[in-house]
Amino acid sequence: MAKVEFRHVAKRFGDLEVIPDLSLTIEDGEFVALLGPSGCGKSTSLFMLAGIYLPSGGELLFDGSVVNEVEAKDRNVGIVFQSYALYPHMTVRDNVLFPLRFKRMPRAEALGRVIAAANLVQVEELLDRRPSELSGGQQQRVALARALVKEPQLLLLDEPLSNLDATLRLIMRTEIKSLQKKLGVTTVLVTHDQIEATTMADRIICMRAGRIEQIGTPDDLYRRPQSLFIAGFIGSPPINVVSGDAREGEVCIGSVAFPFAGAPGAVTIGLRPEHLRFTDSGLSGRIAQIEPMGREILYVVDTDAGYFRVLEHGSVAAHGVGEPVNIGFSPDDSLVFDAASQRLLAATRVGPPT
Amino acid sequence: MVAPVTFTELHPRPAAPVDWGKLAARARSLRRAKAVVLYAFLISVSLPIILPYFWLVTIALSARTGVADTVVLWRSMAVLAPAVIAFWLAAMLARNRRQLWLGLTAIGVVATAAFAWLVGPDLHLRNFIFLVEPDFASVVRSRVGAVHGAVQFPSVWRAFGNSLLIAGSQTAIVLTVASLAAYYLSRFQFPARAAMLRSLLVLHAFPVLTLIVPMFLMLYWIGLLDTLSGVILVLVAFELPFAIFIMKGFFDAVPWDIEMSALTDGASRRQAFLRVVLPQVRNGLLAVAVFTFIRGWEEYIFVFTFLIRNTNWTMSLYMYYVRDDVMGVDYGVVSAVGVFYLVPSLILYLAAQRYLMQMSIGGVKG
Repeated sequence: MAKVEFRHVAKRFGDLEVIPDLSLTIEDGEFVALLGPSGCGKSTSLFMLAGIYLPSGGELLFDGSVVNEVEAKDRNVGIVFQSYALYPHMTVRDNVLFPLRFKRMPRAEALGRVIAAANLVQVEELLDRRPSELSGGQQQRVALARALVKEPQLLLLDEPLSNLDATLRLIMRTEIKSLQKKLGVTTVLVTHDQIEATTMADRIICMRAGRIEQIGTPDDLYRRPQSLFIAGFIGSPPINVVSGDAREGEVCIGSVAFPFAGAPGAVTIGLRPEHLRFTDSGLSGRIAQIEPMGREILYVVDTDAGYFRVLEHGSVAAHGVGEPVNIGFSPDDSLVFDAASQRLLAATRVGPPT
Repeated sequence: MVAPVTFTELHPRPAAPVDWGKLAARARSLRRAKAVVLYAFLISVSLPIILPYFWLVTIALSARTGVADTVVLWRSMAVLAPAVIAFWLAAMLARNRRQLWLGLTAIGVVATAAFAWLVGPDLHLRNFIFLVEPDFASVVRSRVGAVHGAVQFPSVWRAFGNSLLIAGSQTAIVLTVASLAAYYLSRFQFPARAAMLRSLLVLHAFPVLTLIVPMFLMLYWIGLLDTLSGVILVLVAFELPFAIFIMKGFFDAVPWDIEMSALTDGASRRQAFLRVVLPQVRNGLLAVAVFTFIRGWEEYIFVFTFLIRNTNWTMSLYMYYVRDDVMGVDYGVVSAVGVFYLVPSLILYLAAQRYLMQMSIGGVKG
């Protein structure tokens, strides 16, 4: 197991600068998610950890030693690719055995380890099959077994769930998380899916255009997103964003003024659908659409400040389409961002509707 | 004011019910007629291809020294042509697999019986005398009076071995060099990579015959004229560009992930190439190997120019001199040599056709 550290790491491909300057510490045994949209440099970071890409600058450390130039084969890193990258010409047994072939190990011991790894992810009956004869979920498990069989000091998961169907994704999510806790292996998960990141990781590193946007627990990212970008990225259904013009003591959202404690200027206000309620006062509008989601109902409300999404518990719609409603919220749930820099104004709140 | 016309007025219901059975029957006979035309076309284009090979074998097995006799050919034709047509018809008319097999077996039995009756008595193996008698030309000529052949022939097995050696080593070298070069072209970025890929194709575009004089001079200067290794080198040089191009297509189709996975699994670059990447392009290797081998096996121009001693003859040269020497006396022997020359290519194609069909999957793309 290892503690991993990026110190001002940069990566350029020719003239293209993918990662300008990345500094980051991953603690021993931690499960960390690199979250961000495609092209934000998260996979590049992962491949640098694996030793496939050479950093263009800075230092990459495993347990305090610089490993920039250490070859992939000597890093003892296990990796699960999005495509699983199983070797199609080998049986499952040979696939899982492959990493052990390069470690002068007696064959009997190696085979024993293969069986142990297969047991761990429950593929022991599939050992004689070829990858093409396996389902997506089974291939995923075999890829995990292959990554784990050499007892890696670092486990890297590159979008491991994106090729699975929804049910299987839920199951594998739970399994990977419990496996990681059981083995205590330092794990880095790369994903563009916020649900995957928030459900599995201890800590999330949110990236954007090669830079770290915010590091925090899933709860931090949800409650205190440091920028509008993260507020929009975390949470489903997505946060309502509305621009307001703040004056002394009040801010206007649409035509309604709300009490406001903060400096005057243009602000952007984020309100999560699950934090909005139908009240007697507040922002007025009409219900434009109703989207039942089973346990909850999502109302799309047309106001003069734009469309708002409101999530209400219950499975029976209490309001009908076209019904006039007022939307209210608690000041603690309001997120106010500076309109220009899009950074969170941490101490600023929008007051309760009057 | 025009009265509005309703949809049903524009599309009145047909007075008489549609005769679906008649329509189906018409479609059926049309389909059949089309099939007949198609089969007729296929037969007419395939007969001119099949016939020469059939005749070659028939002549090799039936012609006699000093006798110009084509009756056997016409008889064999009289069996073959109806048999081919009957096969097509059976394939077309059969309504299920069992009928098909019954029909084909019946036609096969009848054709074999007819062949045995009409052609059988004329068949013999004497034209294959060259397999055991190096000086067969003298033997053949002695049958018609003139004893001395003009050409001193080596044993056919020597020529066979030379051809095997040329084609085999050419294949081995091309496979090794092409797979390494193609892998590099597919995976690594380096200056002038695109230009190199383009030049690979251009190299293949020129007729190689134009280079025969400079090649002769080069081989003479480096002392490889009239040696098998000289010819092998020349053939390798001309075969490589296309082989590299084909192999690059196959390597391009192997996902990077698999290789990266092998590297993180602890393999070195070389081990990843040998154990993980190379097995993925097995079909490409086989296809290139077969084509290169056959190209070397049939090589004629370069061996004719660069090889002089008769101990260096290949099968194509042997064939050429046999034709040159005894054609007027005994075309049966010429045909027999042809059949003998043909057999290895045929075996190779039959054994590898499953892989050759997959050539297109690897694809060719820059």
